[in-house]
Amino acid sequence: MALDIPLHVQYIQNLGQSHDELAYHLTAHLRLNAVYWGLAALCTMGHKEALDREEMIQFVMSCWDEEAGGFGAHPDHDAHLLSTLSAIQILIMQDALDKLDIPRVVSFIVSLQQPSGVFAGDTFGEIDTRFLACGSMALSLLGHLDKMNKEKAVEYIQRCKNFDGGFGSCVGAESHSAQVFVCVAALAILDRLDVVDTDTLSWWLSERQQPSGGLNGRPQKLEDVCYSFWVLSALSILNKLDYIDSDKLTAFILSAQDPEGGGIADRPGNMVDVFHTHFGVAGLSLLGYPNLQDLDPVYCMPADLITRMGLRKGWKALPRRTTTI
Amino acid sequence: MHGIKRTRLTQEDIQAKKQREQTKITEYLALTEQVLSRKKHKDWSEDALGLTSKLLQVNPEFYTVWNYRRNILLQGLFPRGTPEQNNQLLVVELTMTMGALKSHPKVYWIWNHRRWCLENIPNGPGEAQEDGADGWKKSAWDKDLFVVEQMLDVDSRNFHAWNYRRYILSNMPKPRPEKTELTYTKQKILSNFSNFSAWHQRSKVLSSLWASGKLGESKSKENEFKLIRDAMYTDPHDQSVWMYHRWLVGNDISQEVLEREIETIQELLAEQPDSKWCLESLVHYKRMQLKNHKEKVDTQVLTGECQRFLAHLGELDPMRSRRYEKIASQLNTI
Ligand SMILES: [Zn+2]
Repeated sequence: MALDIPLHVQYIQNLGQSHDELAYHLTAHLRLNAVYWGLAALCTMGHKEALDREEMIQFVMSCWDEEAGGFGAHPDHDAHLLSTLSAIQILIMQDALDKLDIPRVVSFIVSLQQPSGVFAGDTFGEIDTRFLACGSMALSLLGHLDKMNKEKAVEYIQRCKNFDGGFGSCVGAESHSAQVFVCVAALAILDRLDVVDTDTLSWWLSERQQPSGGLNGRPQKLEDVCYSFWVLSALSILNKLDYIDSDKLTAFILSAQDPEGGGIADRPGNMVDVFHTHFGVAGLSLLGYPNLQDLDPVYCMPADLITRMGLRKGWKALPRRTTTI
Repeated sequence: MHGIKRTRLTQEDIQAKKQREQTKITEYLALTEQVLSRKKHKDWSEDALGLTSKLLQVNPEFYTVWNYRRNILLQGLFPRGTPEQNNQLLVVELTMTMGALKSHPKVYWIWNHRRWCLENIPNGPGEAQEDGADGWKKSAWDKDLFVVEQMLDVDSRNFHAWNYRRYILSNMPKPRPEKTELTYTKQKILSNFSNFSAWHQRSKVLSSLWASGKLGESKSKENEFKLIRDAMYTDPHDQSVWMYHRWLVGNDISQEVLEREIETIQELLAEQPDSKWCLESLVHYKRMQLKNHKEKVDTQVLTGECQRFLAHLGELDPMRSRRYEKIASQLNTI
């Protein structure tokens, strides 16, 4: 099975039109993130124009939370670091950063860093290494990385490092592929990859590949397409992509496509969604799948854009192939 | 979306589904509108709290509504309540989120809300400095430890629950002796050797006990080696056990213990000649010998063995063959 780009583009275009489905409304708290996933997937497939630029920018700006100085996931939803990062990523991909009150959003993000170095997601203070990575990523994209306490942030990540080489969501937590991605990406942004125990971590990451070719998030868990990105991005930042079988993983991701309606699911035969579509396509890009655009595994955004911004780190993806075999 | 089977619907099915959902959508949007508009008007009333319960019951992922709910309590209800009443409000919150958690055990926002509740339980029922001054707190935190253990009985790998459990253990007003956690993790491990979450937790607890001197490291390590040996022999294909073993061996183990462990694994390999984890571990430990105890070992023999094991691993586990080749190519430079 090949990647059906036109069908997936159509699937993403149709997502905004499903107002007559309950699930659409029940996921409003993820809307801005979903717009980022859709746009990033379109960019990777070389069809950025498939969604209307003006409409998208307008929607992003309608999610601005004036009181907090950040973005909520939907108009009238509270500002949160996750949706604020999505907004920044979208505005940069659409070359519309002039719409943003950069000093205000920077101070919102900086205010979320805790004395321990980790970031909270919002003013109620849930902490997680995900938020540390979101904060570092957002500040770096806005050219204000020096506004955060980098040493403390690195110190916190170090405290989350486990004996298996991986990282957890907070001090004491078990290693998990998604947390490994966020910590490794943050360390790359902070130029502190020396903190990583590369041999042990790349061993642990390579062991995520299951007999089906798919990757899982932790030992003894099911494989899932979204881990194609979490695990692969970390491996490519560590320059160890050859530690897994890329052909088998490619086949697994492709087998999770919905050949009729488009989109990619978590596993073959399951319901598709934009999250897995984006991370599936992102994984394929890192694996050198033909006719896709290069994706930057640190920022999970188009590589040429990140390079132009002068933010490219020393990661390596597999060379882009010209044929599917 | 995770784990939902794709079903092929006909056009009629789709229309019928949309029809059915229409009323639900209208109701849901009306309720959302009502709640968000009250939030905008800073309505901190009990009435508004009731509406948020209704909405969160339909959609526990609506983080803005959890925030609103906390603000209603903080701005509206707590300031005019007595400590008894406020404690009672939080007990109700904990009961409500318990139901939500049982049907949505992986929703971050629900776990967060519980933490916030626990942290806001007032002092009482006794006066300050008196015995029982933190009775409400004690009973709430104890109860939550019980709740989270029930959750781990249902899904022993739920990392939200493990994180929450660690949070409770390190913040509860009357801490449990750390050693009781050894009993808990052992019990989890013995019921399933593949429960890596439990091995992980055990490694954290032991590290802390050893560092503080509450437990003698060398004797306790020997007990762990015994436990892990049983696990290895019970299920040599289980990576959790081997990873824990690697942690136990660490980086600065004595040559004597390292040799004993290598011997144990080699005996197991003789029984299970195609055991990937035996081979992988032997390569790792033999490379350690080459690195740390070079003068006491026969370098050539060890290097040769590693080469042989790595070649075998490449055949058994072709997905990761490049890693084995890489290690083999580095053997001569150790
Ligand atoms: Zn997934």
